[in-house]
Amino acid sequence: MSALVQTLQSMRHSPARSILTALGTALGIGTIVALLAVSAGATQTAGKFIHLGPGEMGLFQKDASDPTTSVLPESLITTLRRQRWVANAQGLQLLVNGLNAAPGAIVFGAEPNGFETDRMVFTSGHNSAGPNQIVIGQDLAPQIHAHVGQVLTVFHRHMTVVGIYALGIAEQDQGAFIPLSTAQAISGHTGEVTTIAVKVAPGIKLPTAEKLLNRRFAGLTVITDPDEALRAGANGQLIANVTLVIVVLALLIGGIGVMNTMLMSVIERRTEFALLSAVGWSGTQVATLVLTEGVIVSILGAAAGVVIGTIGAQLLIHALGAASFVSPDVTAWVLGRALLIGVLIGVLGGLYPAWRAAHLSPARTLAQH
Amino acid sequence: MPGASVIADSVTRCYEHHEILHGVSFSVEPGELVALTGPSGSGKTTLLQLVGSLDRPTSGRILVDGINVGELRHPAQFRRSTVGFVFQLHFLLPALTARQNVELPMTAAHVPRREREERAHELLAEVGLGDRAGDLPSQLSGGERQRVAIARALANQPPLVLADEPTGALDSVASAQVWKLLSGIRDRRGTTVIIASHDVTLGEHVDRTLHMIDGRLTEPEEPTAFPVSGHAG
Repeated sequence: MSALVQTLQSMRHSPARSILTALGTALGIGTIVALLAVSAGATQTAGKFIHLGPGEMGLFQKDASDPTTSVLPESLITTLRRQRWVANAQGLQLLVNGLNAAPGAIVFGAEPNGFETDRMVFTSGHNSAGPNQIVIGQDLAPQIHAHVGQVLTVFHRHMTVVGIYALGIAEQDQGAFIPLSTAQAISGHTGEVTTIAVKVAPGIKLPTAEKLLNRRFAGLTVITDPDEALRAGANGQLIANVTLVIVVLALLIGGIGVMNTMLMSVIERRTEFALLSAVGWSGTQVATLVLTEGVIVSILGAAAGVVIGTIGAQLLIHALGAASFVSPDVTAWVLGRALLIGVLIGVLGGLYPAWRAAHLSPARTLAQH
Repeated sequence: MPGASVIADSVTRCYEHHEILHGVSFSVEPGELVALTGPSGSGKTTLLQLVGSLDRPTSGRILVDGINVGELRHPAQFRRSTVGFVFQLHFLLPALTARQNVELPMTAAHVPRREREERAHELLAEVGLGDRAGDLPSQLSGGERQRVAIARALANQPPLVLADEPTGALDSVASAQVWKLLSGIRDRRGTTVIIASHDVTLGEHVDRTLHMIDGRLTEPEEPTAFPVSGHAG
């Protein structure tokens, strides 16, 4: 009978102890998975706040905490349009938590006839033509039961729905568009925009245009691919840093939790370990037995934590109303890291109990009985 | 494997400034069946633990087949190869079957799985429990558990078996079976067996009795065959 089989039988013999230890690990791992998934999802979806077609770039304020907090002067649009390598430029104002009916939805302020809004396909109604008109994305409309003619409130301003549009971009189809001037007035950023979409002139390659932009205009972050969105904002990095801190905390807390339970288990089973020593098990063999149990329990806990974390991330995002701009991204890498952390928790938490078990005095322990 | 010789030379053991054994000396020949008797607290268990390398003497020497067990660097390795223990409480692991409990010393000795299983079955048959190999300790009676513990003590075919009050928790019928088994082990295998007990019926099963009172043998022996120096294993 191998040490592994012995460990499994011991765990089966004391299921409550094993389940409680695994549950402690599961909660820690679940938290990590949820944070990693949200973190990955946040960085992935941030770039989709603006739609970048072929030959287009997005400009953001350098070192903005995230794309929605970028502030650029509107006058830059005019300057950009004068450049020979720019075909067109359009400003966008992003408003978060502005739509009362759906606080998680992004409200985009855009010039009604700009190239970003020209792509809209209207399933009912038309594009906004007045300052108090709003058009709703086709994914958001059914969620808030919006229809043409309805009045919605955006930051205490009453606006009439005049159209339901489709753009094919999830983040925009789950949002709404209002005129840029209205968005600027509502946000108090008159003469400013959040981002500028730039369409490069025919014959100019994007990398060339990017170099020219960087050389000509300081203080900008240029994005040519939505996947580069992390460059535009520090929040993705902030989430990553927070996740790292929580991973370390989970290692410590989970490790201490496993250590505490394993230590209790060693004390409870000290006669068993003393007996093993008496029949010839070396300290290393006894320690391996304890560590094996710690690692197995932690892996089981981690597996349960992966399920809890995956479900928990979805629930968390929906509960916070952030589903329209963040979707958790549970990748194999996220799951792999969670399981690895589970193993680490088992090893770290099992080390001291294993040492204690290996150094029990068989004479004294058995004599106590 | 023939039995081991045991020589104790002026062995003392102190716990927290309290002397439990006071210069105990005796010798046991290979293949002898010796009873160690005396009232509770006389030092029988302590002496057996020292002989079995579960503990170290404060002074004096204990030689098992010439090996000074008080100076062993790897006592677990010595116990695995040389000593089989039977305790008053069987100390069977509750999660393991009778066969798996018997396998424990062989697992420590890295005996291959098939050989472990075969040997465990043979040993359980030898103690009359061949058909109970798959039972958990909770499914066995007190006497049956102790017989499993005896099979476990024999797992690595040790030359020395140390039994500490093996019938202390058993009724007279089960006790008689245990005595018969232990004397049979010596008879069939030539194993040296030392039994600590205050069971008065033990005398009829053993070759010799050493009686202890207050950490001393009542009839001290003068061991004569000490090697020049024991070596640490």
